[in-house]
Amino acid sequence: MAPVAPPAHPLLEARGISKAFGKVQALINVDFQVGDREVVGLVGDNGAGKSTLIKIITGVHPPDRGQLFIEGRPVHLASPKQARALGIETVYQDLALVEQMSIARNFYLGNEPTRRIGPLRLLDGTTMHRMTEHALREIGITTLRSASQDVGVLSGGERQAIAIGRTMHFGAKLIILDEPTSALSIKETRKVLDYVNEAKRRGLSVIFITHNLYHVYPVSDRIVVLDHGRKVGDFAREAVSIDDLVNLITLPREPTRGAP
Amino acid sequence: MGGKAISGGAEAKAVEVLPAAPPEWWRRLLAIRELGVLIALIVLIIIFTLLQPAFLTLDTFGDILTQAAELGVAAVGVTFLMIAGEFDLSVGSNFAFAGVLLALLVTQFSASPFLAVPAALLFAGAIGLLNGLITLATRIPSFITTLGTMMMWRGLALAITGGWPISILTASTLLDVLGGKAVYRTLRISAVWLLIVAAVFWGLLGKTAYGNWVFATGGKREAARALGVPVNRVKLINFTLAGVLAGAAGFLQFGRMNSMSPVWGDALALEAIAAAVIGGTSLMGGSGTIVGTILGAITMASIRVGLVMVGAPSYWYTAFLGVVIVLAVILNVKLEETFAWRR
Repeated sequence: MAPVAPPAHPLLEARGISKAFGKVQALINVDFQVGDREVVGLVGDNGAGKSTLIKIITGVHPPDRGQLFIEGRPVHLASPKQARALGIETVYQDLALVEQMSIARNFYLGNEPTRRIGPLRLLDGTTMHRMTEHALREIGITTLRSASQDVGVLSGGERQAIAIGRTMHFGAKLIILDEPTSALSIKETRKVLDYVNEAKRRGLSVIFITHNLYHVYPVSDRIVVLDHGRKVGDFAREAVSIDDLVNLITLPREPTRGAP
Repeated sequence: MGGKAISGGAEAKAVEVLPAAPPEWWRRLLAIRELGVLIALIVLIIIFTLLQPAFLTLDTFGDILTQAAELGVAAVGVTFLMIAGEFDLSVGSNFAFAGVLLALLVTQFSASPFLAVPAALLFAGAIGLLNGLITLATRIPSFITTLGTMMMWRGLALAITGGWPISILTASTLLDVLGGKAVYRTLRISAVWLLIVAAVFWGLLGKTAYGNWVFATGGKREAARALGVPVNRVKLINFTLAGVLAGAAGFLQFGRMNSMSPVWGDALALEAIAAAVIGGTSLMGGSGTIVGTILGAITMASIRVGLVMVGAPSYWYTAFLGVVIVLAVILNVKLEETFAWRR
């Protein structure tokens, strides 16, 4: 692949973000960036502020202080819908797919292709199946027999794959994976990590949120560590080892109360 | 799609050991979602035919379809709503109230059927919509909402009629069109209405984007919402449709009997739910088929007609039906557990 000059602005930048819920200071002056075609691992213990940061990036909560930029332009996200329109998609672990529906019907849920027959607008089932199978093959899912299978009979890894494939297919620029490997076997985790690589190869950026450093380390370009609402580390992968990260996360610190 | 196919490098790892592939026709057979109710229906037909050979005739089949019509129309609406994850126990009362309302409009108020039928259907839809609005606004289970409205509309139907049936004893085109006229010997026109309703809702559920939203709303509401499906609107529409079809079922009954009584349909809601679950609709929402529900209604009508033909006293119907419901649902669950992965 030919080297591409880095763009002038990161795809997403959060500058000086603070957020409190009542007396709990969830985020304190956090700077966070995701570059073009960059996989960023976001790690930290429970309560470190990972979820809050993601909810601000995806428009669920507004920040108390700080500013978001997308491709250099300041944005104010009023809703998750607005974030999605700007190409930011989240894949939640348990909430992505409807088990009782087929793969194709899940894939196109909310974006169903229709064709006009007289006065009626009918589902274009042929296109749904063909395009779903095509899209899944492209991200490297080859074990599924047919797009008409119910999602309920698939493994956790296959479900993650379909959810990731769907966001890629519908034009996301930044995919946020929330604990995508926490309920998976080792083999399936390996596959999901392959899909992350594939997403990157196809020009997307990924934020990978996890507790598990061994999952995030091999696929990340950069790893950001949060602790008690503060950013305590931001490393290029080459510059840090898993042991360093473990030490950083488990280092005892005083919980911070109130604004800095 | 101009994207070039990129090898994921996963082909080598894709060699999974799958169970030995069954023949294609076998897989297709097992993939039929209505398989359970089909087996139940065929077994019943065989039993009744052995006991009474006259059971297996076109006349009997016409009779069965006619008996299935009112239940089937109401059950289609109930199925639609159950797939979206809600219940309507008030369909029997709506059936009686809308039927009585239509009968009153054309008898007491001499309204034109062209006005009276749409007006009474609109009212039936409003009854359904009200169930939906109360359920969604207060977040109480629809089971409770419609338990209350079931009693309320039944009481109101009794109150406005004084408990008496309303009859039309003269020749009436309206009654002929609704269900009085026979299209073929024992087959009444109400059975044709059932087939039309079934075809329309089968298409709506399986062949439109809206149908996809109905499944998703009942299957996993949060996932559907996250993908932009207006889940509350879907539920309100389905509550309304269940009301409209309950009212329409009341009209068919009125047409077939030349009379509408405010006490009719007191078991309709539970029978409609029974037809749906015999046909494979889930009580938890998210799955079900219209064909299954129609077959469920036909199964129930077959039991009714068959027991009469073999000379069993009429209370056997309820007892026998109870056994069939439980057996059919056990069959559905076992088939699903064993064969779902083959789809």
